[in-house]
Amino acid sequence: MTSPAQSPVVATDMEPVVPTADLVGRSPGQLMWRRFKRDRAGVVSAVIVVFFFLVAIAAPLISKLYGKNPTETYGLDDNGLLNQFGYPVAPNGGISGRFWFGLEPTLGRDVLTQLVYGIRTSLLIAAIATLLCVVTGVLIGVTAGYLGGRTDYFLGRFIDLLLAFPQQLSFVAFTPVVYSMFVSPEKETPTYLRVITLILVLWVLGWMGIARLLRGQVLSLREREFVEAARVTGASPWRIITKELLPNLWTPILVQTTLMLPALVTAEAGLSFIGVGIVEPTPDWGRMFANGAKYYESDITYIFFPGLAMIVFVVAFNLLGDSVRDAFDPRTKR
Amino acid sequence: MSRSVNRRRARYTAVALAAGALVLSACSSGGGGGGGGKQSAGPGEDKNVSSNYSLGNKDDSTGPAPQPAGAKKGGTVTVLQRDAFHHLDPGQIYYGDMLINQLLYNRSLTGYKIDEKGHVKVVGDLATDTGTSSDGGKTWKFTLKDGLKWQDGSPITAQDVRWGIERLYASFETDGPQYIQQWLSGEGTSYRKALPDGPYNGKHLPSSVLDTPDDKTVIFHFQKPHADAPFATAMPNVGAIKADKDTKQKYDNAPFADGPYKVGDYKVGKSLTFVRNENWDPRTDPLRNQFVDKFEISFGHQFTDSTRRLLADQGADKNGMSWTNAVAPEMVEKVLNDSSTKSRRFIELQPYLDVINFNMDRLKDIRVRKALAYAMPSGQIIQQIGGATAGQLATNLLSPSVDGYQPSDPFGKKAKPNGDPEKARALLKEAGKEGQEIVYAYANTDVQQKVSVVITQALERAGFKVQKKEIDSNVWENSIGEAKNKFDIYRTGWGADWPVASTVIEPLYDGRTISDGASNYAHLNDSSVNSEIDRISAIPDVKKAAPEWMKLADKILTDDVPAVPTYANLQFALWGSGLGGVKYHPVYGYADPTSVFVK
Repeated sequence: MTSPAQSPVVATDMEPVVPTADLVGRSPGQLMWRRFKRDRAGVVSAVIVVFFFLVAIAAPLISKLYGKNPTETYGLDDNGLLNQFGYPVAPNGGISGRFWFGLEPTLGRDVLTQLVYGIRTSLLIAAIATLLCVVTGVLIGVTAGYLGGRTDYFLGRFIDLLLAFPQQLSFVAFTPVVYSMFVSPEKETPTYLRVITLILVLWVLGWMGIARLLRGQVLSLREREFVEAARVTGASPWRIITKELLPNLWTPILVQTTLMLPALVTAEAGLSFIGVGIVEPTPDWGRMFANGAKYYESDITYIFFPGLAMIVFVVAFNLLGDSVRDAFDPRTKR
Repeated sequence: MSRSVNRRRARYTAVALAAGALVLSACSSGGGGGGGGKQSAGPGEDKNVSSNYSLGNKDDSTGPAPQPAGAKKGGTVTVLQRDAFHHLDPGQIYYGDMLINQLLYNRSLTGYKIDEKGHVKVVGDLATDTGTSSDGGKTWKFTLKDGLKWQDGSPITAQDVRWGIERLYASFETDGPQYIQQWLSGEGTSYRKALPDGPYNGKHLPSSVLDTPDDKTVIFHFQKPHADAPFATAMPNVGAIKADKDTKQKYDNAPFADGPYKVGDYKVGKSLTFVRNENWDPRTDPLRNQFVDKFEISFGHQFTDSTRRLLADQGADKNGMSWTNAVAPEMVEKVLNDSSTKSRRFIELQPYLDVINFNMDRLKDIRVRKALAYAMPSGQIIQQIGGATAGQLATNLLSPSVDGYQPSDPFGKKAKPNGDPEKARALLKEAGKEGQEIVYAYANTDVQQKVSVVITQALERAGFKVQKKEIDSNVWENSIGEAKNKFDIYRTGWGADWPVASTVIEPLYDGRTISDGASNYAHLNDSSVNSEIDRISAIPDVKKAAPEWMKLADKILTDDVPAVPTYANLQFALWGSGLGGVKYHPVYGYADPTSVFVK
C-alpha cells in the first residue's frame, strides 16, 4: 500500500473544501476512487473478486467451451478412469488433457466444472444473503440509534434474542419443518426452495452484527453539531438519516459487507460440509471440502483446487474490504 | 444384529482449517495407480459356505478352548471403537459391536466355536452340549456343566439361567432379541403378558413353560417346534444372571461376569476396561481363552483415526485392535499397499445383505418392479460405499453367509453389475409406464447422498422419473418402517441372526407381519410365500430346510420382486503387529477377541 505522504491529493478526509492550485471539485466518491486506484493490493484483490464473480456467472459458458458438465459421472461411465477403490487411475487425481483439474473419487465427475458450478451456487447464495443482511442491518441499526428510547430498547433486545440463536443448529432444526410444510411427501424438494431457505436462514440470523455496529455509530453521530443544526432548521428525520447520517456510515457498512460476504460463503460451505443445505447432485463448494477432507489420504489433489480457490477468494475479498475502507477514510491507513 | 450397524462416517467441522492445511501440502501425491491389492489376505474365502456350519457334540463343548500357536499370557490390548456401547446388559444386546464385546464377560447356554479356518460349530457353552429335543422339537433340555462359577466364586445354577430368561419379560428389556421369549410365551410383544414385571415380584414362569427341576437342568417348552433352538440359545440374552446381583436398568453399567473377563473400570460413553476374572475356569469353556491381562476400550475413534493409528503401529497401538471399526474406505489402498499389514488384516464377508426395497403397496405392477431391478446399478453403489473391500455384489436375496446359499442370479447382475437400462426400458414400455415417477428415499448421509447420484442416474437412463427424498438419518429407520410410508424405493440392510435362512425370509418377507416398525419393508404379502414359510419352518432338520429356503428366496425374487439385492457387506479389519490370535467371527461379522494374545 502507498503511504499517505506519497498521496498529494489526499488533503482531508471530508468534503474537498480546501481550494488547491488547480481547482477541481470532486465528490467523496471520486476521491475515494482516485485513492483506491493507487492501492495496488486493492486493485489486484478487486480483479480477483471480479474474476470469481465472472466465473460464477459464466459457469455454463465455461462448461460448454470445455465440453464437460458437472453432473456427468465420467469415471463410472468410462472404464479405466477409476480403479477398484474408486480413485482416479492417472496420477495427481486424474489430471489430464481431458480433465484439467482431475476427477472426483468414487463418482468420477469432472472437478473443474464441479468447482465452477460449486462457486456459482455458493456465491449466489452468499451474495443475496449479504445484500439482505446489510439492508436489514442498516435499516434497523440506524432506526434504533436515531430514534433511541423505547424503540432502541426493544430493537436491542430483539437483536440479543436473535444473536442467541446458534445459526447452524437452527438451520439443522428448522429446514426439515420448512420442507415438509411446502413440499408434498412424494415430491423431491426443489433446489430453488433449498436455496431460498438457506438464504432466509443466513439472512434472519445474520444481520444483527451490522445493526448493532451502526446503532452505536448513529448514537454518537446524532449528538454532533451538524445533525443538531439540521434538526434546528426543521429537516425531517428521513432527510437527516439519508443526507446527514448515512454518508458518514458508508465506511463501516462497506467494511462490514466485504467481511460478511466471504464469511457467508464459508458459512454456506460449512452447512453443506455437515450434510445440510444443498444436497447432491447440485454442485457445492462446501461439499467439495467435506469430500476432499475425507479423500486426502489417498487423493490429495482433489481438495487442492477447491481449497486454493476458497483461500484466494477469502483473502482477496478481505484485502479488498481493507482497501475500500482505506480509500474512504485515509486516516485509518496503517 | 438384525439391523446392520449404521455406516455413517465421520463428519468434520473445520472447513477452512482443512483446506488450509491441505493446500500447504503440495499436490504431488495422489493418483490411485492401477489395480491396487488383491482382495482377501485372510486364510481363505470359503468361510461362509454352508458346509462350514455344523452342530458340535459333547466333546466339542468341553473346555479348554484350543490355543493358537505362540500364545502366551500377559499384556494389555488397546481397543479403539467409534461408538460407545449402548448396553452391557446381555439382555439388551443385539448390535455387532456389543455382541463381540459381550463374548469377554458373558456366557450363553450355547455358543459358536470357530476354528482357524473359519469353520463354525455350535457347541454348548454353559450347557454340556447343544441341547436335546423331544416332543417333535417343542421341548429342549439343556444340562449345565460342572464347575461353572460367577466372578465372586459362587456357582452358576439353573435358577440363574431361569432368572436370566425371566428378566427378559420385564418392560425395560427392549433392545435384545426376542426369539426365546416369543417361542415360549407368544408372538410379537404378547409374551410380556406372561410375566409382566419379570421375576422381580417373586413371580415365575410355570414349569410347563420353563422348567428347572434341579440345579443343573433347564427345560424349554416351546409353543411350536423349533429346530434351530441351539442357535437361538447362543444369543447373548439366553444365559445366566445372578438374582441378587441384578440391578435391573443399572445392570447395563455393571454386569456380573461369568466369562474370562470382568468389568474393571467403566466410564460410560468414554472408556471401558476389562480385567481377568480369576474365578473363570478354562476347563468349562470351549470358546474362550484368557491370555491378556487387560482390555482397554476407548470410544470416539472415527474410522480414519483408528486406521491411521493401527497402520502407524506405534507405542500402545502396537497392541491395538478394534472390535468393529473397519479400515476407513479412503485409506484402504494405503493399507493394502503397505506390505507390513499383510499378516495383520482380514477382509471377510459379513452376514449383512443390502437390498433396495420396492414398496409393493405403491408399485403394484410387477413389470415396473422388474424394470427397477434390472436398472439398479449395484456395482456403482458398491463403489460409493467404499469399493471392493467394503461390499461384494449380491445376486439374490440370501447372503452367501447363510446355510443353503446358491449363487443364483435371476437379474443377470454378474454380467451387468451396473444395470441393464435397455431391458428395463423395454419392460417399462411393455407396462405402458414410461416416465413412471419413483419416490426414492435415502438417509441423508454423505455416502447415501453419493449413492443417490448413481441410482437416480441409472433409473433415469432406464426411463424413470426420480423424486429424491432425503430423510434425516436419525429418523430414517422409523420413516421407512411406517407401514403406510409414501416412498417407492429405499435401502435396508439385514443380517441373519444365525446362519439359517429362517431368520432372513421370515422377518423380511412374511406378509402376515406387516405393521409399523416391522421388518417386512417391501410389504410383500403373497399367500403362497406365507404358506411356504410355514411349511419350511416346520421341517425339523435345519440342514434339510436350508435348500428349501434358498428355493423360496429365488421364487420370491423372480415371482414377486419385492426388492433387488445390491451387495453383501465386507469387513476389512486391521490390528497392531504386537497381537496374535485375532480371527474372524463369521456369525457376528467382526473380529473375535476370545483368543487374542500379546506376542
